[in-house]
Amino acid sequence: MSDPLVRLRGVQRRFGRVQALAGAELDLHAGEVHGVLGANGAGKSTLFNVLGGLLAPDAGSLEIEGVQTALGSPRDAWSRGIGLVHQHFTLVPALSVRENLALGLRGRSLTEVGGVVEATMERTGLRVPLEATVSAIGVGDRQRTEILKTLLRDPKVLVLDEPTAVLTPEEVDGLFDLLRELAGEGRAVALVAHKLDEVLAVSDRLTVLRAGRTVLTTERAGASERALVAAMVGSGVADEIALGVHRTGMKRDAPARDPSAVVGRLTGVTGERLTNATLEVRAGEVLGVAGVEGNGQHELALVLAGRVRPAVGVAQVPDEVAFVPQDRRTEGLVPDFDLTENIALALSRLDRFGAGPLMPWDALEEEAERIRTRFDVTAPSVATLAGALSGGNQQRVIIGRELALGAQMLVAENPTRGLDVAAAAYVHGELVRLAAAGLAIVLVSTDLDEILELSDRVVVMTRGRIVVVPGNERTREGVGALMLAGRSQTG
Amino acid sequence: MNQIELTLFLESAVRLGIPLALAAIGETITERSGVINIGLEGSIIAGALGGALGALAFEGAGLGVLSGAMAGLLVGLVFAVFAIGLGADQIITGTAVTIGGLGMTGAIYQARFGATGTELSLPTLAPVAIPVLSEIPLVGSALFAQAPTAYFAYLMAPIAWYVLFKTAWGLELRATGEAPAAAEAAGVRVRLVRFMATLFGGAMAGIAGAHLALAHAGTFAENMSAGKGFIAIAVVVLGRWNPLLVLFAALFFGAASALQFFLQALGFDLAYQIFLAFPYVLTLAALAGWVGKSRAPAALALPWEPHR
Amino acid sequence: MSAGIAPARAREAALLGLGAVTLTLGAGAVLLLLGGYDPVAAGASMLRGSIGSWNTFVSITLVRSVPLLFAGLAVALAFRAGVWNIGAEGQLYAGAVGGVWVALTFTGLPSLLLLPAVLLASCLAGGLWALVPTLMRLRLGIGEVITTILMNFVGIYMAAWMVHGPLQEQRGVFPQTDRIVEAARLPALIPGTRLHIGFGLALVIAAVLAVMFRRTRLGFQIRAVGASPQAAAVAGRIDPARVIFISFLASGAIAGLAGGAEVSGLTYALYEDLSDGWGYTAIAVALLGGLRPGGVVVTAIFFGALQAGAGAMQRDAGIPAAWVDVVEALVILAVLGLDRVRAARAAAPTGEGGA
Repeated sequence: MSDPLVRLRGVQRRFGRVQALAGAELDLHAGEVHGVLGANGAGKSTLFNVLGGLLAPDAGSLEIEGVQTALGSPRDAWSRGIGLVHQHFTLVPALSVRENLALGLRGRSLTEVGGVVEATMERTGLRVPLEATVSAIGVGDRQRTEILKTLLRDPKVLVLDEPTAVLTPEEVDGLFDLLRELAGEGRAVALVAHKLDEVLAVSDRLTVLRAGRTVLTTERAGASERALVAAMVGSGVADEIALGVHRTGMKRDAPARDPSAVVGRLTGVTGERLTNATLEVRAGEVLGVAGVEGNGQHELALVLAGRVRPAVGVAQVPDEVAFVPQDRRTEGLVPDFDLTENIALALSRLDRFGAGPLMPWDALEEEAERIRTRFDVTAPSVATLAGALSGGNQQRVIIGRELALGAQMLVAENPTRGLDVAAAAYVHGELVRLAAAGLAIVLVSTDLDEILELSDRVVVMTRGRIVVVPGNERTREGVGALMLAGRSQTG
Repeated sequence: MNQIELTLFLESAVRLGIPLALAAIGETITERSGVINIGLEGSIIAGALGGALGALAFEGAGLGVLSGAMAGLLVGLVFAVFAIGLGADQIITGTAVTIGGLGMTGAIYQARFGATGTELSLPTLAPVAIPVLSEIPLVGSALFAQAPTAYFAYLMAPIAWYVLFKTAWGLELRATGEAPAAAEAAGVRVRLVRFMATLFGGAMAGIAGAHLALAHAGTFAENMSAGKGFIAIAVVVLGRWNPLLVLFAALFFGAASALQFFLQALGFDLAYQIFLAFPYVLTLAALAGWVGKSRAPAALALPWEPHR
Repeated sequence: MSAGIAPARAREAALLGLGAVTLTLGAGAVLLLLGGYDPVAAGASMLRGSIGSWNTFVSITLVRSVPLLFAGLAVALAFRAGVWNIGAEGQLYAGAVGGVWVALTFTGLPSLLLLPAVLLASCLAGGLWALVPTLMRLRLGIGEVITTILMNFVGIYMAAWMVHGPLQEQRGVFPQTDRIVEAARLPALIPGTRLHIGFGLALVIAAVLAVMFRRTRLGFQIRAVGASPQAAAVAGRIDPARVIFISFLASGAIAGLAGGAEVSGLTYALYEDLSDGWGYTAIAVALLGGLRPGGVVVTAIFFGALQAGAGAMQRDAGIPAAWVDVVEALVILAVLGLDRVRAARAAAPTGEGGA
């Protein structure tokens, strides 16, 4: 095989206490689609961000076309022909699609940009509404805009971080055809996708990361799915737990329970991003809410958790609902507060902490200590600032605190996002345990596998509407089709 | 009110509005990049003193304006180093720069001209009447028989508008103010853009100050900026971050300030201080009524550090 | 907008303050040298004029510090709640007008009734002045930075109008009010000095605020909303609008007291230029005090000493009093700079240690 276009060796990067990359390697050749696999937190995004010039590695080398290179900024990466499509959108919401595309072609005059945009849209088949403001278009269009923006600069190396997460299965197929075509033109394409089968379907070669290290690089043809999974999860103790939970813990029998025990009920709730949402949540079940991000799940979660009162419709939810919000650091915790203060944030309103004008700090500190011990929060003391904890430990604090509310219902939004395998397994285990103990649980997640594994019932949200998934369609394909159906219905 | 009074009113409206327009057009660019410079007042007063000293040193008002621009830029640089370079809070930094600018100019002035402040006699920027245009009835002499700095303001408003909305550079500037992370990912040097925009705003405020000293008063006085920096920031909001509207908003404020002549002519007998307060009250009312929830740049006042 | 300066822990705040003062003194000395002055002589006259004797300290420095103390506490309270109240200056003038109006109107009341009425009126007037920006923020979503600044100008001109118009002294010559009756005057805190009870009142408010932040539910809610309005609302089910409403008005009321205490404790009449930009200086005071009531007390006295010393410096060494403003600005910048350096060091990768 010819010399690679890109050669990464021994890349290390640390974030505070977390070693995100600990010797990652990656070769990208012209003409190939290269799939990068790994569990949550394995370091895939970090590696791609290093390649895109967004993150400076602590150690390691990068060669582009055989030349030793250091990327100081995204500009450097661009000038070396590397185009990165980010996991999170990097579009400017207030600007039009056309302006965002022009931003990707910086340095050229705006009239010149017009021609290039038209030509690239024609060539790639990526159609986007040029004059619309980004904040007004859907996630699919945003993703297409994002990819188009990168392709406009005609990169030699195209790096895509989770481009499929917000696309329907049909759109994913279209994207993969395009990627094959681009590779066929002599580019190197590297791709991170959450779903193993997706990556396998499009890649020529594969690299597996685990705990920040490259553990396997192989031709697609010679790789068995089994071997890849084994490489992804490894044989560490934490991984065993994860596997155990994933493989067996989730498939529990539907507990015998009183179907009339409805804990929460929404009737015709309409409001921001919600259209006539009607839903029942019952004691002892996990209700999974699937959907592509930005289709109203967050708004639904806020209403179910009693944080937002619907403008139209009726929301019957318990006075107290335990809530694990999506954004730990802005909605779940105050990073500048210590653990006791963060626990007090939610618990001090409870009757058992009195009603006088004074804060019962002694009792709250005891409670914080109890939660820290019971939920194995790795923190020196309850006086540790929440912002100094790892994501997994922050999540433990939030879950522990919300459970201490003694609510009958728990709403969890993408509760494992950004957590490592062991922490995610812990969260999954807690959700299952709590449902078995009789709590009504609403699991809102964009991770379809998580939903399918944990939920007793599944609904899909598309454009603010709720679609119930029948039991026999509770497969990736079935739910995917429903996402699509919901779209065409509402235009 | 007769025509002479109306002309007088319009003239003073423009005269009072021009320094605001100069500073506010600069601040519009600054704010579009995501930086709110409350230290504008400091740049204005520095521009006034710099303009006065420059005009004395170079024996000409033109070079005085240039010195004023430099002085305003220098104060803007201090703000930028802290608020952009170090990522310190913009509101607090701006407050410090205003206090420091007022104090520093006062100290320099007193050191140079004595504690009582001998009356300065400066080369002034004389009004230049533009042929034909200044002959237009009513508004002609108000708009087109002004100091050259006024024409500079008329010119800068459309130029700033064009750069902001029609050029690649303006696009990058707006992206920086709306979503710095996205701009950075597209290869824009966010902090550099903000630095430049802030320095431009400082220089424009400096010119506003020089205009105050050289065209308006013909002298320098301590605290002669009299809160114009703060008003300019309100004018930017009134003008919805659009340089053309900002020019009109500044003239609107000027008109509100000049209203005392108008109302006195109509026979209203209100205290002088009420007239002084009136433009501020009107601006508050205008903010509440007309601006409503019109959106500021999304990343305004948020410090940005590349996460590397 | 959330508070840009995280309220530091007490020790850190103290270290930060000391560092900033040291930096400022150094930079100030260099600037004075550049200006052709003798920094040693300047420093000496500054010290003499501020803490040269017990009487200087009490009757000049502490007296100067009273409005800074009230206004500094007002600003600290607002900033803690994430409210950018830059309007202490206007609220102070409103408070002075409110207080002086009561003192001039209800002259027949006994001191025991009149004095509290004067202070209450200045609280109400200051709160009222804060009400406009509060409502504009909560109802219309207009940032309070601009509105409080505009209200400052309105307040200053309103007070100016009062002393030229409705409340002008009887002969109608000078731009000031009549002197208020004896019964409306704050008594001396330390007999034989000019220091009035207002200083004690400010200390009491500082203590109340300190206890409130540390011990009470309201104080905790204010801190939570200031640190993260989203987390306060979602996790704490606190209504940020309610907390902002309360803190903003309370801040205005305390700033109003700065004006009320000044006229009823020191000047006994309202003048046009009552405040020498105290409402703006208060921002430096609050900041340097780490937004903590105890810290504000210390820094208000420090700034009182600066202002007292500046007067002496001007008299003895011929150094313009405007230098004090420069020093104030340097203090704020030094705090900001040191705080950023501290933050950068705290955020830096630790290098070693397990993950």
